[in-house]
Amino acid sequence: MVNNTKIRVNTNRKILRIVLMLSYVLISSVVIFLLSSLYSFFNIGAERAKILHTEVKKEDQYLPKIIWKQDGNEGREMDEQVLNNIENDYLDAWYIKQMAYRNNSIEGVDDYFTESARKNLFNFIDYNKKENIHLESTTLEHNPDVLFFSEDGQLIVLEDKDVVQYKKVLKSNEVLLETTEKSSYKMILLAEDGFWRIRHLVKENTKEVNEIILPSSIDLSTIKGINYYPQDTPWTMFGDKFDSKIIAKDFQIIKDANLNTIRIFIPYEEFGKAKVKEDKLKKLTQVLDLAEKSGLGVIVTLFDFYGNYDTTDWTLNHRHAETIVTKLKDHNAILAWDVKNEPNLDFKSRGKQQVISWLEHLIILIKSIDKNHPVTIGWSNAESASILKDKVDFISFHYYEDYKNFEAAYDKIKEEAPNKGIVLGEFGTSSYSGFWKPFQNSKKKQLTYHKEMQKVLTLRGIPFISWTLYDFNTVPKQVVGKLPWRVQPQKRFGFIDVKGNKKPSFEHISK
Amino acid sequence: MNSKHQFLFIFLWLIAIAIPAQDSLFLITEKKDFYAGDTISLSFKNKSNTSSYQLFCTNSYGSTLITPDKNEDILIFNIPQFISNKTGILHWKLIGNNQNISGKLSITSYRKPTSLETYIGPPTIEAGGIDYAMIIVIPTDSLDNPIPENSKVDVKRQFLQSENKQTILTKDLIGYLNIFSPTPSGRMLISTESYELNSKEYTLDILPAIGKNFKVFHERDHKYADGNQITTLYTSIIRDKNNNVVSDGTFVDFFITNQDGNILNTSGTTIRGIATASIIHPDCEATWNIKAFIDGIANSDVLQISYAKVIHKIPVKFSEDNRIITVGPLISFMEQMIPDGLQIELSMYKEGKFLNKIVEQSKDGFTTFKINPNIYKSGNYEIQITSACNTKIYKSIKLW
Repeated sequence: MVNNTKIRVNTNRKILRIVLMLSYVLISSVVIFLLSSLYSFFNIGAERAKILHTEVKKEDQYLPKIIWKQDGNEGREMDEQVLNNIENDYLDAWYIKQMAYRNNSIEGVDDYFTESARKNLFNFIDYNKKENIHLESTTLEHNPDVLFFSEDGQLIVLEDKDVVQYKKVLKSNEVLLETTEKSSYKMILLAEDGFWRIRHLVKENTKEVNEIILPSSIDLSTIKGINYYPQDTPWTMFGDKFDSKIIAKDFQIIKDANLNTIRIFIPYEEFGKAKVKEDKLKKLTQVLDLAEKSGLGVIVTLFDFYGNYDTTDWTLNHRHAETIVTKLKDHNAILAWDVKNEPNLDFKSRGKQQVISWLEHLIILIKSIDKNHPVTIGWSNAESASILKDKVDFISFHYYEDYKNFEAAYDKIKEEAPNKGIVLGEFGTSSYSGFWKPFQNSKKKQLTYHKEMQKVLTLRGIPFISWTLYDFNTVPKQVVGKLPWRVQPQKRFGFIDVKGNKKPSFEHISK
Repeated sequence: MNSKHQFLFIFLWLIAIAIPAQDSLFLITEKKDFYAGDTISLSFKNKSNTSSYQLFCTNSYGSTLITPDKNEDILIFNIPQFISNKTGILHWKLIGNNQNISGKLSITSYRKPTSLETYIGPPTIEAGGIDYAMIIVIPTDSLDNPIPENSKVDVKRQFLQSENKQTILTKDLIGYLNIFSPTPSGRMLISTESYELNSKEYTLDILPAIGKNFKVFHERDHKYADGNQITTLYTSIIRDKNNNVVSDGTFVDFFITNQDGNILNTSGTTIRGIATASIIHPDCEATWNIKAFIDGIANSDVLQISYAKVIHKIPVKFSEDNRIITVGPLISFMEQMIPDGLQIELSMYKEGKFLNKIVEQSKDGFTTFKINPNIYKSGNYEIQITSACNTKIYKSIKLW
């Protein structure tokens, strides 16, 4: 008994001691925590730099082409630093204005228009809000010229000639008008609180543009090609596993099969969007160099895995295309530019008219940079093939239907666009016959398909680019989704199987 | 021509009229040039009954759609006032019709400004005809539009006795004029006038240019190095190249080099061109070379002044075990007691090793040093006493 009590007392004391110690530790840490929070509270202040607006974070959201006419100006001499500030604020003013009219909100307008000037914008916004009018617009090109810079550095007169402005006007959410204008403005900007703000804006001239695109001639009839991805890196050709040796070997296979053309794809985001990554460009140039060495022409398909088309995105898209086209337009291997692969698949989700306008302005851009190479759009079916037929240099479409109906589909396009060259940009069939699609396909059926297609193509002299050289082990989910009955057949479109053996269809890869 | 052919002809003719008339709209409004603030409306003759038309309208600041008023077979689009109030090109386009009907209106402002937005910068310039300020005028009409190019603006200015007027023409929305500084400094008043509208008054300060080299002078009560009186250094009136007195507050540095090459420094700022600075007399015989500078701009010539010795001997008395040392009386140049505050130093050495220096100031011509027995034990010490550049050395003083 006694002993037990003693033990209990001892235990209780121990527990008490532990509890006391723990609570002491707890209270101390709470006090330290509170004191340290208090200390840090009094030591965190606003960054001094913020007072001066020097640290406004800039993201690429609006990058129209801007070419300063640097021919001097009246008044004070302009220096690079000031010109940079003006360019930033001036473009921001345009962007803010476009966003204001898009959403009918006045957010940010105060920063880029002086008190008297912003009233003019507010009038429009109020009116448009009342009438339920929205304007989606962007500018694609600016040619500003400083006419006058005041001696105290606080005022400039700017002329912006031939501003290419795309506008889409919606009333009650229905698109009523789409137009592209070329306008010239004169304006006065004042430096206020670290911003260059627009004080007066006068439109001096404007005209609607319907750019006439000069066709570039090319002999299509010799094109015998194949859509190309390396076997191990389909849809991620320019990634970390890029291997020029494999590509060189593949090109030799293609060349030996009597083909003369390949079609490759440039993923938009992977290439760095508006600021194209240098290393990706290097890899792309390497591919073109290898193609040139093997005597293959290359059709470069831009904007792969891109699907936004929104007006606010246009200037970024344009910088992307501009960089790539400018860099490669003189490369001997370039055969043609394909603006986008199967854009008609996005008609439903993004609006047909929006997608078409997007394509049209990109064609204008690409052709303004590269006057020698033809431009096309890789429509996914024969029905869409004649869209923008007057803007592209040749029509290209993809055909995955029954080979028996091919000639009819081709003839229909020919009828719609009798004077345009037509290239069959993709065609092929899967040899997959497994759990998900039993008995439908086989290597033999694939053989027949290509044999029959080649018969028509040769007979009619139709240039073709088939899908594709290899069977793949993986297909990224962005391509056909995750459903196995779609993914599995997609892996078996090749002329060469996963083990590297030529399938029977290989015999008809080019004839 | 038989009747059959005639009928056919008439029939075809009717069709020919009917086809364009069917879905056609004609713009009735002929006027294409308007003034800002005018009520603008575009009228179309509309044969068909449909009126689901909209007018797309875009001006300098934005775009919108306008819904028409229908009046029998005429469609009227009233351009909202906020659009017709702004100058520039107004582009319009009819929507809801297959024909491409569009046009441009030009809206200009009256040459009747109601406000003169005037900017002058910089607000101060340097006299001498090289520096200039710029005046920029944006004449705007009552609807805040810049008035047309080549409008006249008079720039009026008054300076000292002269008043003049200069006419400029606006170009690229503004008018500007460079105003070069006159030779004298002063304040210039500027105003502008355009088509009988006057601006308010603007001032432009013409500041003197930078100073030219100058002279430096001194003033003192006596020539003795008593460490007590103050010598005042001052410059001649500092002027710029156009003889304008430099701006008040121009900073002048006086550098004093003494006979040992040490440099003393004092400074002052100008008032009416003269900078003054004070410095206390040295306490021993000295020759000073003084040169003044406006840093990086101008300097004076060298002024040399000398100070005569005042204390010729230092009487020293040891008492109370030699631990109380009385220095004095210290006699100045007229045998008077030296003014309080003369510095006297006592240095202690033992066996050639420096121990300490005690500094005291004179009071009523005397100073007393007490050597603390707790610090300095009994023994032989060397003691040196220095004041006003005189040193007295006691090689071996025994302290008890």
